Amino acid sequence: MIARHALSLDVGGTFTDVILADRAGGALHVAKSPSVPSAPADGFFGGVDRMLDRSGVDPADVATVLHGSTIVTNAILEGKGARTGLVTTKGFRHVLEIGRAEIPRAANLFSWVKPRRPVPARYIFEVPGRIRLDGTEAAPLDEAAVEAAAEAIRGAGLGAVAVVLLHSYANRAHERRVGEILRAGLPDVEIALSVDVLPVFREYERTVATALNASVQPVVRRYIGRLSAGLAGRAVEAPLLLMKSNGGACLPEEAARGAVHLALSGPAAGALGAAWLGRAAGIDDLLTIDMGGTSADVALVRNGQPALSTAGRVGEHPLAFPMIDIHTIGAGGGSVATVTEQGAIRVGPESAGADPGPACYGKGGERPTVSDANLVLGRIPPALLDGEVALAPAAAETAIARHVAEPLGMDLIAAARGIVDLVNANMTGALKVMSVERGLDPRDFALAAFGGAGPVHGAELMRELRASRLLVPRFPGILCAIGLLATDLRYDFAVTRLQRAGAFDAAATEAVFAELTHEADRRLEANGVPPERRRFRRSADMRYEKQGVELTVPCGGPITGNALAALVADFHALHDRLYTFCEPDGPVEIVNQRVEAAGLTDRFALPELPAASSERPEPSGERLACFDGHALRPAPTYRRESLLAGHAVEGPAIVDQLDSTTVLLPGQTALTDRYGNLLISEGGP
Amino acid sequence: MTPESPAAPNRFTLELIKGALNAARSEMEALIARAAMSPFIREKKDYFTAFLNRDGELVVSTSLTLAGNLVDAILEEYPAETMRPGDLYWYNDVYGVGGAVSHLPDMVFVMPVFHEGRLFAFAEAWGHLWDIGGSVPGSISPHAVSVFQEGIMIPPVRVMREGVENREVVRIFMRNSRFPDMLRGDLKAIMAACQLGARRLTETVERHGVEVVEAAFEAMLTETEGALRSEVAARIPDGEYAFRDRIDSDAVTDRSYFVDVVLRKANGALEMDFSASDRQADGPINFLMDDSVPKFMLGLWMCMDRPGIGMNGGFERAVESVVKKPGTLVAPRFPAPLGLRSHTMIRVTSALFGTLAQATGGRASAAPSVYVLYYLRGRNADGTEPLCIEGLSVGFGARTFADGIDAVYYVAQENYPIEFAEMEFGVEIEAFGIHRDSGGAGRWRGGCGIVRDVRVLSDEARFGIRLDNCRQPAFGVHGGLAGAPGRVIVNPDGPEPWDIATMSDGTRLAKGDLVRIVTPGGGGWGSPADRPAGDVLADVLDGFVSEEAAARDYGVVLAGGGVDREATLARRAAMPRPSGMFHRGRYYDAGEDRMDAAPAAVSASARAGTG
Repeated sequence: MIARHALSLDVGGTFTDVILADRAGGALHVAKSPSVPSAPADGFFGGVDRMLDRSGVDPADVATVLHGSTIVTNAILEGKGARTGLVTTKGFRHVLEIGRAEIPRAANLFSWVKPRRPVPARYIFEVPGRIRLDGTEAAPLDEAAVEAAAEAIRGAGLGAVAVVLLHSYANRAHERRVGEILRAGLPDVEIALSVDVLPVFREYERTVATALNASVQPVVRRYIGRLSAGLAGRAVEAPLLLMKSNGGACLPEEAARGAVHLALSGPAAGALGAAWLGRAAGIDDLLTIDMGGTSADVALVRNGQPALSTAGRVGEHPLAFPMIDIHTIGAGGGSVATVTEQGAIRVGPESAGADPGPACYGKGGERPTVSDANLVLGRIPPALLDGEVALAPAAAETAIARHVAEPLGMDLIAAARGIVDLVNANMTGALKVMSVERGLDPRDFALAAFGGAGPVHGAELMRELRASRLLVPRFPGILCAIGLLATDLRYDFAVTRLQRAGAFDAAATEAVFAELTHEADRRLEANGVPPERRRFRRSADMRYEKQGVELTVPCGGPITGNALAALVADFHALHDRLYTFCEPDGPVEIVNQRVEAAGLTDRFALPELPAASSERPEPSGERLACFDGHALRPAPTYRRESLLAGHAVEGPAIVDQLDSTTVLLPGQTALTDRYGNLLISEGGP
Repeated sequence: MTPESPAAPNRFTLELIKGALNAARSEMEALIARAAMSPFIREKKDYFTAFLNRDGELVVSTSLTLAGNLVDAILEEYPAETMRPGDLYWYNDVYGVGGAVSHLPDMVFVMPVFHEGRLFAFAEAWGHLWDIGGSVPGSISPHAVSVFQEGIMIPPVRVMREGVENREVVRIFMRNSRFPDMLRGDLKAIMAACQLGARRLTETVERHGVEVVEAAFEAMLTETEGALRSEVAARIPDGEYAFRDRIDSDAVTDRSYFVDVVLRKANGALEMDFSASDRQADGPINFLMDDSVPKFMLGLWMCMDRPGIGMNGGFERAVESVVKKPGTLVAPRFPAPLGLRSHTMIRVTSALFGTLAQATGGRASAAPSVYVLYYLRGRNADGTEPLCIEGLSVGFGARTFADGIDAVYYVAQENYPIEFAEMEFGVEIEAFGIHRDSGGAGRWRGGCGIVRDVRVLSDEARFGIRLDNCRQPAFGVHGGLAGAPGRVIVNPDGPEPWDIATMSDGTRLAKGDLVRIVTPGGGGWGSPADRPAGDVLADVLDGFVSEEAAARDYGVVLAGGGVDREATLARRAAMPRPSGMFHRGRYYDAGEDRMDAAPAAVSASARAGTG
């Protein structure tokens, strides 16, 4: 028997979404089970067991297990990684502490407090030895000092250590040697070298990435140890693939070594899923918004692929390697509406979370949330999860009346409508950050809205942004788990090799690419990827002389003088597109070279819906709801399952389903495509 | 339903308009950052954006306290009734506009915004342009003695009429720069940002109606005014509070200058009187201070805990008057030089904190130090001339609720990575760390400055620096000690180390010389004896405080890597209690012009001649 099922698990803060997909037949099994934040592996296996149990699929028939996890994000944000040390070049113990020395633009300079660094200076050990900018050795490594650092690390009982030496990207010898000495002396301590994590210039950013990697390595290693053992214990022999921030997956051993690359594991899968559904629907340029209970993640898809950035952050920490460009704000169904003493109103970022949750959950929450407002406005049904969870409209009304409507002297509906308008404005702002602030016009994009709450607000966001269309996935609440099915293995390799304007060396450039490609090839080989499934893409980070901002320009190979000239022309064109101008005669430098390696996995075909026999579906009922303005009006409701390929629904209307609700505004029409996505546009069908 | 009355938009509408204006401002700033050419704007991010009402009051803006009253000078030249949609106005002429901006490199652009032919608001953006002529590349020199040496002056001019650019005025301006290509990109970016802001404001009006938007402007101003007034009423008793703080020198002479402020509150009205400040300086530390500047500082400090209260003209309304005397440091007469005005601006902040400390029983921040810039102009035998200009961070003052910020420059301005500086500047950085023991001791510790060791790699070089708080370190408050001073030493570990004056330019250096720049820390807050011993231990372990200073200043005795409880108790019991509200060298009270003995000359180069 050839195993043919892909098992996909997206473990979020509250729920674990599980999909079992039959690659041959296209059948999908879907399940939701509770996550266990205190013991993430238990939540994972709760999902696995529920799925295997319900589907009756033989564990031996699982070909691959795909996993998106918040374990690294949480460890970083909550500072729960291992106690970590750092070995660095003598004279530079406080580089991490000093950082970039700025107060954030939006902060009040009198009240701002510098965020805590991942390694306190007491655990930072200096070693003499110096590599110059050009890779030559100015002073030899003092190995005795490294031994002494190892001794101190042992004495302090640290669980991990990062090694970041100045200019190590130009010559790795000292850092490698430090690594060897530490490994020999500290067999039980996790070690991360900056030349493995991020071998590009800018010491502060490189140090943050390497230190965070070291601190989460043991967390990830323990976790995947549990996952591997548990899978084996259930006779699931399939390889486990973990989702990384770059939109690719990796094997468990790589996940442990490059642990920090899992930082955006969950949201990256969402963007990947939206990109996949978009491609299937013939939409290559998308803005995506994933609105859950506490936050909304916004991302961008161009030419069918999620946009990447090397200027991303997790919490306060910069992570300067390629990650899916994601902007997160505190806007979710659980976001709390607060009226201050001075009479100002705000919605979020504070969230009622899953416990007690919104007032309408009836679990003791008394403060009004976005979900309460949506319930009062009739936009979500009085029971969730197909009746499993009954909501309490009276509690929602009381919360909004007492905490918003009365203090502001307005009626209940106006207050609820105001809450929805404000959270919409916050999300519109985030979508603009991802579009207009990057020089893109939202009208050239479709919007994909998902997450449990996304489709409730998507139609309004689309109208506000004048986006071309709105895509609501067939299973909006589990799109991250769907996205996992679309992932390949992916590794990024980069190194800083500065080449001045007018002094480009084609042979040297080619040699660096060849070296990076060789390294990448070995990694894929070690991952068991057959040669015909290996793909490599080259790019170069370039800048105008004297500028501190680089652009990543794709390039082919092999590198010749002509290829370099073409690369420079491409740089000018890209600069013009992104920054509104270019200087065709300006001197251009090459700073970093990059190779992205992919190991293609088996594709899974999206299951299709049967075609509708009529143009119009049958409504399931009627509900009094607020669509625009401040009035409630009766509108037809539909069950999502009753919508078949080709069905059209005109707004105002509401489409209810197990894991979400889609609100359709007057004047809008929703068409169901053959994959079950709703494609909503302004105007008639 | 709540009716939308123009006089009072409902709270939700107000928040939506506020959100739209802030989103528009953020979009303007993103456009400047993307489209500008010079490193000052692209990396140092030295720019500002705002929306103003039809009277020129700031409604929303970047929280930088450097300028104000951006529109009046334009209206004097171009009355409102002569303005048309699509017009854009431009100036940098600090004296000509009465301090609306405070040094010449800041170029201000203002676009009036109309609705149905009626002017109702302005969109504004300014940026620090990198070279606008003047006596040295980059335009600002510590050695300037006249504003004429600091670059071209643009009085308020109309650079765009109904959307058509006045190219003549732009060409004249470009001709005055050493780097016209860079300027062109920056100008284009800032002008486009104003147009974008005007467009977004128009869209907001189309959605909500002009009356509602104008009423929202007024509500935002009233809200901010009310916030500051109620904080002042609750925290500052009627009375008169005077304070004087000192600047090391004006870079041209060795004379120290002072900022003097008297805060008066009577019958709920607040006055800030700077008229007793020192005479204007010979060198470029003069600060032609707009009345809004100290008001914004007060507002940002007093309202920091009020979420949603933005810096705007409401802070100006809440303070009745600001008094300045012509010919003084904060009201210099044309053509006194202005390039280093931030030295005085930051002393206005610290002097204001001095008055607040007295008014509130010490509930005010200790003094911050002034950020540092140095210039290393190299020359090689092969004719190349590497130029290194770096901003360096310092320590800020301890707060009543937190330590001062360690190693910080200012709002939104990033330092250069070592690995970037070495690529670009012809230097090697041999050490970069925290200046230990520079943060003033206190219940809350002052922020620490930094140490940067810079090796000269070019055949020869001239060195300039603006490093304040060396003779007059940042004072401590309410028992906190002063920060430690800064210093510049050449070849500190060689046989013959020597000092460079800390406000100087033109010092000659040779290939291989190592310059150690040591920046000052901020003042401490509260008695050091009250700082938890565990926090002092942490500071020792992390390299912010030495073991000796822990014992001497904090009374915390360490032994075997931990706190010796008994010895610490005994030592703390024997420590003298603070004997004055402020500290610099020793405890003192306001009214005393506390001036430290000069440890070294600050303005004349100590050796090797000056340029």
